[in-house]
Amino acid sequence: MKKIAKYSFIVLWSLFVLAPLSWALTTSFKPPAAVNNGVTFIPWLQFQPTLNGWKDILGISGYANLIPNMINSIIITFFATLISVVFGGAAAYGLSRFQYGWKKYKNPDIIFFFISQRIMPPAVLAIPFFLLLKSLKLLDTHIGLILVLTSGLMPIVVWLMVDYFNQIPKEIDELAMLEGCNPLQAFSRTILPLSKPGITVASLFSVIFGWNDLFFALVLTFTNVKTLPAAVVALNGTITPFWTLSASAIFAILPLIGLAFVAERFLSKGSLTGANR
Amino acid sequence: MAKVTISNIGQAYGGNPDQETWAVKPLDLTLESGRSYALVGPSGCGKTTILNMLSGIVTPTQGQIFFDDKDVTALSVSKRNIAQVFQFPTIYKSMTVFDNLAFPLVCRNWEKEKIKVRVGQIAEQIGLSGKLDRSANKLGADEKQIISLGRGLVRDDVTALLMDEPLTVIDPQLKFDLRKKIKQIVQGKEITIVYVTHDQYEAMTFADELLVMSFGRMIQRGSPEDLFERPNSKYVGNFIGSPAMNFIRAEIVDGQLSLMGHKMKSGLKSKVSSGQLTEAGIRPEYVQVVNSAGENVLSTNLLGFDDLGATRILNCQFGDGVIKARVPREFAIPARGEVLLKLPAEKLLSYQDGLLN
Amino acid sequence: MSLKLENISVDNENEVILKDISYEFQPGKIYVLIGRTRSGKTSMMRLVSGLLASDEGSILFRDKDFDGVPIWDRNISMVYQQFINYPNRTVLQNVEFPLLRAGISKADAKARALAMIEKVGLTSFLDRKPGQLSGGQQQRVAIARALVRNADIVLLDEPLMNLDFKLREQLREEFRELFTSAKEAVTIYATTEPAEALILGDELLVLHEGRIIQFGKPADVYENPANVDVARIINDPPMTILNAKIQDGQIIVGGNIKFKSPKHLGDQSNGDYQIGVRANEIVMNGKGDLELEGTITLVEVSGSETLIYADTNAGEVIIQQEGIHNLEIGQKVLAAIDPKRIFLFDGSGSLSSAPGN
Repeated sequence: MKKIAKYSFIVLWSLFVLAPLSWALTTSFKPPAAVNNGVTFIPWLQFQPTLNGWKDILGISGYANLIPNMINSIIITFFATLISVVFGGAAAYGLSRFQYGWKKYKNPDIIFFFISQRIMPPAVLAIPFFLLLKSLKLLDTHIGLILVLTSGLMPIVVWLMVDYFNQIPKEIDELAMLEGCNPLQAFSRTILPLSKPGITVASLFSVIFGWNDLFFALVLTFTNVKTLPAAVVALNGTITPFWTLSASAIFAILPLIGLAFVAERFLSKGSLTGANR
Repeated sequence: MAKVTISNIGQAYGGNPDQETWAVKPLDLTLESGRSYALVGPSGCGKTTILNMLSGIVTPTQGQIFFDDKDVTALSVSKRNIAQVFQFPTIYKSMTVFDNLAFPLVCRNWEKEKIKVRVGQIAEQIGLSGKLDRSANKLGADEKQIISLGRGLVRDDVTALLMDEPLTVIDPQLKFDLRKKIKQIVQGKEITIVYVTHDQYEAMTFADELLVMSFGRMIQRGSPEDLFERPNSKYVGNFIGSPAMNFIRAEIVDGQLSLMGHKMKSGLKSKVSSGQLTEAGIRPEYVQVVNSAGENVLSTNLLGFDDLGATRILNCQFGDGVIKARVPREFAIPARGEVLLKLPAEKLLSYQDGLLN
Repeated sequence: MSLKLENISVDNENEVILKDISYEFQPGKIYVLIGRTRSGKTSMMRLVSGLLASDEGSILFRDKDFDGVPIWDRNISMVYQQFINYPNRTVLQNVEFPLLRAGISKADAKARALAMIEKVGLTSFLDRKPGQLSGGQQQRVAIARALVRNADIVLLDEPLMNLDFKLREQLREEFRELFTSAKEAVTIYATTEPAEALILGDELLVLHEGRIIQFGKPADVYENPANVDVARIINDPPMTILNAKIQDGQIIVGGNIKFKSPKHLGDQSNGDYQIGVRANEIVMNGKGDLELEGTITLVEVSGSETLIYADTNAGEVIIQQEGIHNLEIGQKVLAAIDPKRIFLFDGSGSLSSAPGN
């Protein structure tokens, strides 16, 4: 009896979570009539699916073209993630293996300092970043947004990865060094392969936060560089074109869904067993 | 104070119907109340699983458990009146020693005054009276384990005390002190004690009765002396005692054990047919070094010796095997060459296919 | 070719880790470091390997200063207590790794790795990852990897500590075989168990609170412990150590128990001393010039002997008696000591006289 209850709960919850997505998906294929004249759910039964919503956003019907925005988002998120993970990961490794400190501030304090960056509401940073990028002539550029996003993503990466590295016994690094690797080789040959799950998680977090950033995109970029979330928001006109918006929403998250399937392979369980007893 | 009866217990993690894969194969067991038992065996033999079945942490795939004729198989952990000490000290780091010991009583809504008295008593017994106000986290691992033990004893409704390799995380030199302390603390208490360990020495020193396990089966059960003197199988002969029992290839000739042609007097009684693997078993402690040939004396070749401090172990080649003999340190060991070993008849046992005749 | 430590000292804030360590290790020998936990054994090994820096003193290898040599150029192998292997590599890859790092060809590396894996008995596990092996097997992989490359220095830090009792026995025997592969190396093995030290070591170093308090051949250290600390560390079962006074040729223990000072102690001036007796030299309920009445506090049966702890007027006495004796805590017992077997330690704890053999 308990089992039936558990499973029905899971099924219900899944439906609850998937409902908005499926709604958006179906709506993106609806003609305006199907949206405005009452609620419809099932394609082919209640309405005839069309590709108008999609044509609208892909530059085919001339209404809008979100593809350049998608490319912008990909570029910006990719580089922001890359820099965050590479440098953040390196910092995390350092914080895990070595002792840093100044007076009474040691490693845990340094790590907290990193995390504390995220406690600040982004709104607080809007103006300072704006002025900073302006003086560097980096407003409305890819690089500008990448740098700003990195400053927000790196702390999370550091925080996640320090914890992850701490779980890998230090003795493995030592062993590699004793067996002829200098510290960098020890890291790349032994620790790095073991860190795949950690790096994957950190990267995923970075990608998700970076991709979905709307705030800084709106504040720091205008015409030359427009990311996808910003572009989607801009689609809102006097009449709310739900079908177009739905299409753009699905479009905006397609890459993330694709990434999730790809990344799942790397989140395997077996890579760290055997390191400890 | 509980007699524990296990009836046809089996545990299959993963539900595989093939019993060979079960962590605990169908087992019947009765533990008398008030005695201390040790479940011994190498890692993975099922001893911890049995312990967890007794405490209720694991529900057996089949079979029943009775405490004094009451079926507790389905009873939850908290209702079984079991105290369990684990490999790692289970204490509340943020509380003082006193609060830690008092916790089980607080959960049972005892009055403050009664708690104070009881905790005082137990603290006295476990030797921590002076440290009641200290933060439990500051104590050493051995003291933390003592607190874990104390928490188990502080309840007055405990019928059985289960200990799962409690000395694992303790420093070697403290291990000995802690073992002594535990033994002194539980001595004389009317509780059934079950102690799980892979260390046969620990088991022998601690328990009235040992249950030797291997791959989910109980191989032999008995007092330390029984298991030492008459192991029922090669497995037990190897596992109990350090160094392990000598096992020498032999044949049965005319109803007697014959080692490389030497007929030996032994306790062998039954007639055995040829074709089975026969071995003679004798503990290194009972092998004697003698000066002249005679009954039950074998000629061996000295390979070397191990210095164990108070005693030494001679490794002597016999056939294509080695016979170990234990001698006191003062014993003059010949440099090399022939050593005559006597295997006294009353200590010489015979094994067929690994089982005692 | 030797490894020389000169006046090494390491501090950690307020704690002395190592103090004034000076010793010369020769290649081709097995050195055993014995001492309690935290006595400095691990620190000494980490110092030699370069993982720990000294605050004072120097390390010379082959007459060249080791300090300037980075860890990866030191050609040192290490086996840890905690079965450290590369988790993402198979057994074969694990053992090949150091060889490949050293620039040996793939074919050669594989051949040598296979040979060593065979030596440790893991040939059927070549393609498994460490996570799929048992504790003993994982440690064997670590040992194979350490020995395969003919390093100049092989360090083993209590490698058997986390293994089951019986596995420890087994691997101890195998070690001697295995160490013949490290013929040209300085092998340093740390342990807390006197038996391991006595069996494996060519030379013994006794560490206590960060200092070397004695060194020499294991048998010598055992028979002539330099002071009370060494006597405690090297004796298992523990040595009975009692406070004593010497007055005009008589030894007084427990305030009023007198006996004549035995010949081997020679002439000793009056004063405070400590006497030590090995557990197997004390006879229960026997006769001796020194007889102490005591109450049993603990009895441990270990198969062929019984270990009895008793509180007497002179202090705690530990008796190792042949055979299995079922005694109760609280029982009265007589400990008989032959003065000819006494160790005498002077007021500062240093050995004054040891019993001859």
